[in-house]
Amino acid sequence: MQKGKPLLIGAIVLIGLVAAAPLAAQITIGGTTYTKFLWGNQRDEGALYNFTTVPGEGYGDNGQGTEIELLVNGKLSKKLAIQARIHSRFNQNFWTNYGGFGGTNPAFQNDGQQTPCIGGICGEYDPRSNQYVKLRGVALTLTPGYSWMDTAVIGQQDWGYFDPFVVGRIRYIDRDNQGGILLQGSAANRQLTWDVARISLARIYQGPGFTTGTFVAQDAAYTTQMKYIVNPQFDIGGIFNWIHDVEIDPADKNFDNGLNLLTRYRNNVYGLKAGIHPASAVDVRLQGFYSSTDTNAAFAPTNFCLTGCGYSPVIGGHHTGWSGKADVDLNDPFGMGLSFNLQGFRIGANYSSLLAARRESDVLLTEGHDAAFAFPGPSNASYGVFGGNRTRIGYGGWDGPMQQVATINVDNDFTDFDEPLAETVIGWQGVTFVPVYSKGALEVSGEASYITYDTNWQAFNDASRSIMNTDYPTTELDTGVNHSYRSAFAPFQDKKTYIGVAKAKYTINAGKGIEIFGKVKGIHETDNRMNDARFLPYQAGDCAGGGKACAGNKNSYSPGNTTSDLYGNPPVITVTNPVTGQKETGYQWKPFDSLSDDDRKLNYWMINVGAGYQLTNDLYGSLSYNYYHANLLDGDTAMQGYNLHEMTSGEHRKNQLIARFKYNIAGLSECGLEYQYNWGIFHPDFGGGYVVQYASADVNKNLGFPVGSPGFTGRFGGWNSLLDRNFDQQRLKAYLKVAF
Amino acid sequence: MNRTGFRFALLTAIAFAFAVAAASAQEVAFKDPVGDDKGPGKYTYPTDPVYKAGSFDLTEFKFTVKGDKADVAVTVNSSLEDPWGMKVGFAVQMIFVFIQTDETAGRTTKGLPGLNIQFGPDDGWNRCIILSPQPSARVRGEVEIKAAALQKMIVIPNQVRGSGRTISATVNKKEIGPGDPAKWGYQVVLQSNEGFPDKTDLLTRKVNEYEGQHRFGGGNDGDCDPHVMDILAGHGTGDKSEIEEQYKMLAYECNPDGTSKTMATLKMVRK
Repeated sequence: MQKGKPLLIGAIVLIGLVAAAPLAAQITIGGTTYTKFLWGNQRDEGALYNFTTVPGEGYGDNGQGTEIELLVNGKLSKKLAIQARIHSRFNQNFWTNYGGFGGTNPAFQNDGQQTPCIGGICGEYDPRSNQYVKLRGVALTLTPGYSWMDTAVIGQQDWGYFDPFVVGRIRYIDRDNQGGILLQGSAANRQLTWDVARISLARIYQGPGFTTGTFVAQDAAYTTQMKYIVNPQFDIGGIFNWIHDVEIDPADKNFDNGLNLLTRYRNNVYGLKAGIHPASAVDVRLQGFYSSTDTNAAFAPTNFCLTGCGYSPVIGGHHTGWSGKADVDLNDPFGMGLSFNLQGFRIGANYSSLLAARRESDVLLTEGHDAAFAFPGPSNASYGVFGGNRTRIGYGGWDGPMQQVATINVDNDFTDFDEPLAETVIGWQGVTFVPVYSKGALEVSGEASYITYDTNWQAFNDASRSIMNTDYPTTELDTGVNHSYRSAFAPFQDKKTYIGVAKAKYTINAGKGIEIFGKVKGIHETDNRMNDARFLPYQAGDCAGGGKACAGNKNSYSPGNTTSDLYGNPPVITVTNPVTGQKETGYQWKPFDSLSDDDRKLNYWMINVGAGYQLTNDLYGSLSYNYYHANLLDGDTAMQGYNLHEMTSGEHRKNQLIARFKYNIAGLSECGLEYQYNWGIFHPDFGGGYVVQYASADVNKNLGFPVGSPGFTGRFGGWNSLLDRNFDQQRLKAYLKVAF
Repeated sequence: MNRTGFRFALLTAIAFAFAVAAASAQEVAFKDPVGDDKGPGKYTYPTDPVYKAGSFDLTEFKFTVKGDKADVAVTVNSSLEDPWGMKVGFAVQMIFVFIQTDETAGRTTKGLPGLNIQFGPDDGWNRCIILSPQPSARVRGEVEIKAAALQKMIVIPNQVRGSGRTISATVNKKEIGPGDPAKWGYQVVLQSNEGFPDKTDLLTRKVNEYEGQHRFGGGNDGDCDPHVMDILAGHGTGDKSEIEEQYKMLAYECNPDGTSKTMATLKMVRK
């Protein structure tokens, strides 16, 4: 055969297929456009999202932009369909970019050193600012009509079919980035359904250390689930997920017979679920999950430190753990509009499912903590105590209470302040009771929760090891008024939490109905942290006071291990008061010589009142006020918070005045606006036992505190101010979404 | 009057007020059998776990008139949840309450866009209350575009609530019309809230041949099948025989190109 013939035949066949395809195919293209306006007086303009923790990504509270999403669906035959999403992202595509023209070429800046492309400065030289369009969610759906299989989906899709404890949702904007193969079938008139999937792991984060290593192409999760609805009164299901992350065996040098693979990471999760519905007034749901996780130290981190190297979506080493919850719903048992929900739950410290829902799921009934005080904490810094580290989300935090997810792989990146925030519940165990009364225009509900923690332990539950070397990633650790949303583990914890909520909504029969609403919420949380004197860092009387240096006699809690690695003794300093001229000599921070030095006690409450009204047929508006009050003892200067966080002990009073509008005219999918005025005060109280220092010109330059203002320099050199901090911030988000 | 006498009088007055209120309320209630949330008999739920078993299984409907207000309450066979953050106590359901009042003028046998149903010649409706978790203005906007001709017959409550297993709302009685509610005909259609509906669908979720993550299954990929999971049937007593009556009402036939050959035809249920 001549060389060109196969090509010719192929071309003819292809043309034939292409020509024939439109006759049978039904291709539809729809989509959405989404326009966003951000405004805030933090004056950040790094990206069209309020928040990210991703290094090199921008964030900001100012800018306008538009993104578009094209949804392509093709029904090629009765048995074959295709779908795809073509999506631009806001990212740094501001209107002010003028379509992504020009810009700074990062390759030629700083003597060849790449400059971070933030705020659209790189223009057309960076995809995030040149209006790039991404292909997402490309999948084929086969419905071959076999008796043993209903559907096969091959490609990228949202894997929300499964369970948030095992394989759950990821970030909405990336919901269908994950590729794989899904087979679905049913039997017994679809009372029995099953799903089997192979899901390719995302190399950028779905493995220990937020990576799947160097050989990534075969890394996958293998998932199956089955559900059987026995009858309307009883249903049962099971789920299993096996994750296998492999690497090429570095010892295999014989290329002639292929290369061997070794396991980098393995994660097995088994789950059983049952629903019992004996009467219309009663629903009972039971769920239990068991996990095992194994990390190969040859390829992945199996231990973490406490000071900035504790980042991983999974725990290291080998662990097994379990989670479970039982829900009992009593739906209006007295026929008077009063219902009850009761939930008992346990999410074990060692429960680990890499693909569990990261956000946009809520596995617990409790409201949990409030997002207004979520990461980064109350003192308006992003991390730590050093300069150049301004808050990202801003003093107002996010709106509303947090969602709970059963993983430390929590993700709240690329969110705005009006979006729901997720927090980890790894380690949580307790009970929640929620009564709801609804009658006519009145709805009243409440919550009472008691939570203790499976992560209540000393020295990470293994006193034979250094606390600076643990299997448990500590991320930003447990600081802030509530805590960082993704920190589940602390070296010392003895914690319990009480949450109480009462809220009501009533519609006044006037005009189109005036909706009034209110809420009161309280949280009492205590954490004794270190509760055994054998873990104190130095021997009793090591720091005698009176201007004498500490002796430095370390205390070992096990051979070779001491907490003085973390809680080092303070030096003796002499400070001159710039106003009085008096000199004081003493310790730079309080020596850690008492179990009470790291105690945490939070008394927190908030109230919300507001009213809403359908102002016109098209416009709904509401105005609400939130007040938060937190009295927090979060260790004294001996403790200083873990992982270089700024201290948060003291009194916090936060106020929010919020105006919300929703506008609807025919054809609009969503249109709304939220304006917030946030103001408040943080009155620090770090206890005593140290010499107050006074801000230098450098502190003033780096952190903005007045020269001569009181504070102290901590163990790592960062400045903690003792001044009251007054906050006064405004922000606004408006959005407009149109489906076509 | 001494203190005991005052308390007695107060309690009597309260009891009297409740009795008067109860006596003056007119309630029409229907029941529907459990386990018939299969449309014409073979429909299945979408595969995403937010669509819990029983979520579209209608079990009870109440229409209660109190003074110049009317309460509508629809109960399903599953605890309500709000996985999509609609903030009204439920998210996945969407309910259409069709009413045939005493007024004969203006009745129609047409269904609403996206439902792919019609009503029998004697079962035309002249009011439809839509219980949606979407903001009322959004529903109003969709009606304006997709059901403009029927707009005056559609009642959209300002607020809809979900609690326990019951979705409810209050509307002005005058929006429904005069007459004795006990003598009216009712039909309740259980559908699913679709925030991104097809161009011709009134916030309704489609039924395809095979269920998908957010698509009902067991129907047809065209628009010849009723996109309805459950309705009232028979005399609305909840008797098991009403299951077959529902399946008969929702029976349909399709042409090979997916257009309707025989459309599902609903009847009103009356006391």
